[in-house]
Amino acid sequence: MDLLSGIINNYYYMVAIILFVIGMYTMLTHANMIKKVIAMNIMDTSVFLLFVAIGYTYGGQPPIIKEGSEAIYVNPLPGALILTGIVVAVSVTAYALSLIVKIYRYYGTCDYDEICEIRSQE
Amino acid sequence: MGFADHYPALIVVVLFIAAFLSPLLFRWVEKAAAPFLIAALGSALYMTVILLVEVQKSGPVLYHMGGWPPPWGIEFRVDPLRVFMLLIVISVSLWIFIYAVRDLKHELKKEVTGWYYTLYALLVGSMAGIALTNDLFNLFVLMEICAISACAIISIKEERECLEASFKYLILSAMGTGCFLLGVAMLYMATGYLNYSFLQLELAETLTLYPRNIFAAAALFIVAFGTKAALFPLHVWLPDAHASAPSPSSAMLSGLVIKIYAFALFLIFYQVFPRELLDLIPLNEIILWLASLGVMFGSIYAMLQTDLKKMLAYSSIGQIGYIFMGIGFDHNLALIGGFYHIMVHAVTKALLFMTAGIIIYSTGVRQIKDLAGIGRVLPLTMLAFTIGSASMIGIPGTGGLISKWYLSLSALEIGRPFFVLIILASSLLNAIYYMPIVINAFMHQEDFKTETKPVPRFMLGTLVAGMLFIVLAGIFSKPVVTLLEQGVASLF
Repeated sequence: MDLLSGIINNYYYMVAIILFVIGMYTMLTHANMIKKVIAMNIMDTSVFLLFVAIGYTYGGQPPIIKEGSEAIYVNPLPGALILTGIVVAVSVTAYALSLIVKIYRYYGTCDYDEICEIRSQE
Repeated sequence: MGFADHYPALIVVVLFIAAFLSPLLFRWVEKAAAPFLIAALGSALYMTVILLVEVQKSGPVLYHMGGWPPPWGIEFRVDPLRVFMLLIVISVSLWIFIYAVRDLKHELKKEVTGWYYTLYALLVGSMAGIALTNDLFNLFVLMEICAISACAIISIKEERECLEASFKYLILSAMGTGCFLLGVAMLYMATGYLNYSFLQLELAETLTLYPRNIFAAAALFIVAFGTKAALFPLHVWLPDAHASAPSPSSAMLSGLVIKIYAFALFLIFYQVFPRELLDLIPLNEIILWLASLGVMFGSIYAMLQTDLKKMLAYSSIGQIGYIFMGIGFDHNLALIGGFYHIMVHAVTKALLFMTAGIIIYSTGVRQIKDLAGIGRVLPLTMLAFTIGSASMIGIPGTGGLISKWYLSLSALEIGRPFFVLIILASSLLNAIYYMPIVINAFMHQEDFKTETKPVPRFMLGTLVAGMLFIVLAGIFSKPVVTLLEQGVASLF
């Protein structure tokens, strides 16, 4: 019961974890390379979501300090980290897509199973 | 603060700057590009040696990026073990690069050679950063730089196998970093820190409050670094990637890149996780069993290969097992053995891939069965192969024996002689697939038929340096072991 109420109270963490698992499953099982790259992005985004959710405080203000104000601030560090994370994810995606373009020129397909078939026929 | 105080950061910065300048130099003054990168690697090596002396004299050095103290700023830490790893990374990559300058001329198109230098310098710089950093998020960024440049030095050859292998590597390594980042999020959620030293103090207290988070993070880290370092059931990307790459890239990937991730896992186990966590759940035990399986199966797969470079790649899966065994035993002698093996295997496997590269350069032969009688045509190359094989098997007088000796000693010390049997059995398996090549190369009745090109003296010179190192590491192991003892002593 304790576990269940913990999950319900923190459902936004659960959403991130479910997205992560969907991304990982698709990435490892789908034969289509474009889908693999999309899944990779879903996986990365889910972690970013989790990070940003950790930093949020309920009713918090943007972290710009005003003199004499007693407001609660949102933790700015996860946001800053995630900006870096997004840049990294973009560059990995760009590189993966460029590899797919090159592979497509050799085989005329983006599907891993079809590529295996073409190779076995040679 | 004097100039010398900035050396920890400068090692990484010099290499990254060199990465961006070398393609420009290659375009303008083509001849100067390679010497320029050698000079950059040389200056990094010089700074590492200075750091080594300083650490030996006055203990660990902490460097704060931009003057911001942790937990706000990024911290670099230089202690004996990290500086040891740094020394291996920089010196082995300098050695491989000297070989690469000649070898790349026939493996790559001329216009991409400058870009290869960029990737090479980025790879070395990011590995040096991984060895030094004391901050989990900084580690993530450096790991991604390392992953992209490691994939790119495979795909730069633009052959079909290279592209496919590098895509497979990229996807699995993206899975690894995804898991790692989720693990970092879990730890950040529980503690609010990203700095190793702060995390270790804080985790000891929060372990009872949020055990689920911390257990999940531990599991995610094992999967992440296991994938990247090719720990046994997660090794599927390695054989294609290491076998299809240009030979200098193979030497680099098999020699250094997989080991830096094993080292990062070691740092997380002993400098991030508190002792209580390692006692509470059997993390070391999991690593130990996976490593033992890897040691056996890597060798068994290697026996079944017909392609020389594929065989060497599978052999790496077995050898990385010894390094993980060093972490798995959770004992100071085992860690010394594991670290010694990082050094010995980095040189040995790079040497073997270089000989494979020279064989392909000179004769074009890749199949193991076609190598019969090659010892009479390329005597020095095959001598290097013989010494490398001897070190893989662990024959006395080579470095491979020392690491296996320390691993076996610690297995006996903690009362688990079963693992001594595994080490012995895997050495025998190594002998089964390395020795026939050596014997066939020198003793075969008929002459070698394929035509051969003469090998440049430069390439042979690098082989001689590698052979000398392996033999010296087997005979004079004392100074290195003393350094490692000093480093390991602070962990227990």
